[in-house]
Amino acid sequence: MTTMTRPGTADSSRAPAPAVRRSQLWRDAVAAEWLKLRTLRSTYAFLAGGAAATLLGMLILFLLVGSFDGASAAEQANYETADLTVVVMPFVTFFLASIAAMSITTEFTTGSIGPGLLAVPQRRILLGAKATTAAAVGLIGGLLFALLALAGATLLLGDRPAPLNPWPSWTHALPTVACAALVVMVTSIVALGLGVVLRSTASALVTLGGLVLVAPVFAHFLPTTWHLRFASVLLPNLTPQLAGADHPYLLSPAGALVMLLAYVGVALGAGLIAFGRRDAT
Amino acid sequence: MILVRKLTKRYGQTLALDNLSFEVRPGAVTGFLGPNGAGKSTALRIILGLHHPTSGEALIGGRRYDRIRHPMREVGAVLDANAAHPGRSAVHHLACLARSNRIGRARVRAVLDQVGLADVAHKRVGGFSLGMRQRLGIAAALLGDPAVVLLDEPINGLDATGIRWIRSALRTLAAEGRTVLLSSHLMSEMALTVDDVLIIGRGRLLAETSMTEMRDRFERDVLVRSPRAADLAAVLTGLGASVTAVETDTFVAAGVDAPAIAAAAAAAAIPVHGLTSRGATLEDVYLQMTGEAVEYRSTERTAQS
Repeated sequence: MTTMTRPGTADSSRAPAPAVRRSQLWRDAVAAEWLKLRTLRSTYAFLAGGAAATLLGMLILFLLVGSFDGASAAEQANYETADLTVVVMPFVTFFLASIAAMSITTEFTTGSIGPGLLAVPQRRILLGAKATTAAAVGLIGGLLFALLALAGATLLLGDRPAPLNPWPSWTHALPTVACAALVVMVTSIVALGLGVVLRSTASALVTLGGLVLVAPVFAHFLPTTWHLRFASVLLPNLTPQLAGADHPYLLSPAGALVMLLAYVGVALGAGLIAFGRRDAT
Repeated sequence: MILVRKLTKRYGQTLALDNLSFEVRPGAVTGFLGPNGAGKSTALRIILGLHHPTSGEALIGGRRYDRIRHPMREVGAVLDANAAHPGRSAVHHLACLARSNRIGRARVRAVLDQVGLADVAHKRVGGFSLGMRQRLGIAAALLGDPAVVLLDEPINGLDATGIRWIRSALRTLAAEGRTVLLSSHLMSEMALTVDDVLIIGRGRLLAETSMTEMRDRFERDVLVRSPRAADLAAVLTGLGASVTAVETDTFVAAGVDAPAIAAAAAAAAIPVHGLTSRGATLEDVYLQMTGEAVEYRSTERTAQS
């Protein structure tokens, strides 16, 4: 190595930056993440996807109601319950959770994770801010779409009786709506965790689709005992178990809540480990 | 002040940085030079907390980057001109960064104006040229009016006007007492911009010097032309120089620089028709230093007889 002397220079005499509390850092990071979501077209595309799924569910219900009205009393007694949240919410969950997954995967794929970490180098705070934003989008979006589905179902079902009409009145559906929103929120956090671990939009969305849309269908092909065990722990099926509604699954509301917390713990834990240890490229 | 101490980074079997140590002082533009694959970007990424070192540490103002709260107010950096979401507009890209560090919207507009992107502020980054993206990156680095600026290959993609602008901007930042570190693999580019030079190869520090001393150190001798060459040679020999005749009116003097020769000639009333300092060019010096440390080398094609 060649070393030569250099003239000394006085250090810059800039005033030290004011102390910043950790909570203030976190609030600023959340505000920045919220702004990031609002300034991307893909966010609105996924919200439109959720709206389209809700409208499609209403169309299916409209056709079902028409068929119900034309059926005999004996046939009407054999109709499936027209709980619109069962039809609509898995798709809404997929679209809203995709926003959460893409909030991190697009940063990896476009390289904008670099400027993001230069702005907020405390990785736990950055991931926490993303999780908070994802959870907020999931909860608020899930609640809005579930309420929209409930309103549509209430209007379409009118005073038709059970088994087609699952609720004596719309107020009886509110626990299911709230629990559906909670499940969307948790699924969004899981999607974020998947995005951090997989770092690829395609991989994260395919895995998310498998978890939310494919696995519940796949469960039906298992023997009954295994079907119930497996299906009971799947995210979409936690909604009726959490709400204590009429369902064939195995978990109590408390058990379903523990399962939801376990999903959050595993997703955030894996995300924190992956995000904290890996180099950001 | 940037302080790098015994920094080592391994990627599997590859040793990217090997016990690298250096300091970057405030009030000067410091060039971080090395051939492709020398470890410049890795070192910058570790300094900025994006990569984890295998051992050693990098400190800015005495702290690790990831310990600095609202770091954009203290450190500005550009590592990759393409590191902005292509679907987001320039103003939104900067606004997101600014919001995370409590920097106002007025500052976003000011830096966009400063880098010449005010007219395209609301256009999506995906439609920007490389030069425009480079300017956007520099705008992001300047957002928090930082005391320390790190730029990785900032001139890539810039046109002549942009290059002149960034040179001027870097000189101004250094004159204000800020610490400026920029990496490049082009010595010619650095020669016009930097005060101090750090040269690395294969992850090791090869030289840490000022640009002036680098020029002086590798200046070899002076070619002198005078109608009274023999008389001037005798005078210079008396001053301790060694002299080698080339032609009747030309000789080469070593051990004395051109100003001293001019002064001696004037004192002895000897006319001088030419003084040419001869030395290795900075490019030569750089290639000589890094020649052994080049990771990727092209194969020269020789003519078949």
